[in-house]
Amino acid sequence: MATTATITLSSSDIADNAFSISNTSTLYTAGTDTHITETTGLGRKKVATSSNTILLDAGLAGGIAQDVTAAKSAKVFIKNHNDRGDGTKWVNILLAAVEIGRLYGGDFMFFPWCAEDGKDIEFTCESTGGTDATETTLEYTCFYE
Amino acid sequence: MATTTATITLSSSDLLSDNLSLSASMNLYQHATTATGLEQVNYHRLVIPTGTSFDLIPESAKLSEDASYVYIINKNTDVTDYVTIDINSEEIGRLYAGDWMFVPWDCDLTHATADSSIEIEAFTHEHIIEYALFHNGETLLTSGD
Repeated sequence: MATTATITLSSSDIADNAFSISNTSTLYTAGTDTHITETTGLGRKKVATSSNTILLDAGLAGGIAQDVTAAKSAKVFIKNHNDRGDGTKWVNILLAAVEIGRLYGGDFMFFPWCAEDGKDIEFTCESTGGTDATETTLEYTCFYE
Repeated sequence: MATTTATITLSSSDLLSDNLSLSASMNLYQHATTATGLEQVNYHRLVIPTGTSFDLIPESAKLSEDASYVYIINKNTDVTDYVTIDINSEEIGRLYAGDWMFVPWDCDLTHATADSSIEIEAFTHEHIIEYALFHNGETLLTSGD
């Protein structure tokens, strides 16, 4: 049972010569070569609020994230499904209260998740004017052991 | 203007009862633009000894409040080896041998008590890490000695 994640980063003009990185990782349980067997499946969340929203609730009793802890392996994919528009609206992705970065429309991220209790993955919709309550759609999935 | 493209593919033939295949592609644009790409990249390969948390990518006024993207891969091969990736002393997650991550990064200097540097600490063995920072500006300002 193997799940793989492949990334390719390429540019023909960011440097004098063409630049390309490509790697594939197989998703294993923590510290082993045993393949990950669990997933949340692909989810979609649509919000229209300027408030902070929990995307993945770490430690939620009876929830999927209850099975995911810091000592285990979990990988998260999130994509901002909105159009980029004029590039002045984005989604702040946070782990607990710590901001990781901004996903503009069409952007995605893939990262390991330290899912200790309280380390929810949250997001806030913002634009250059501050928080933004216009409709935003995220797609996400989590692979875990 | 440079054009840099990031593509991700997540796939599995046996995690679910049907094949899983998810693919997404994005261009790395500057903040608040519709089509102007990030202009600069730092690409590094380095050794991380155990026992100390290091600033892998220090926050900087040159990188503040703009779109930046970070790719990190753990090049070790022993499956028990891992590094932790932190922002503001909050562990985002663990990169085990062969794992990679790709995230947007908000280099935010507006919070005096919060350090948005990307930190890394190696466990079990020293690690070979490669990372790429795609960003929009790094003009040297300080003269040499």
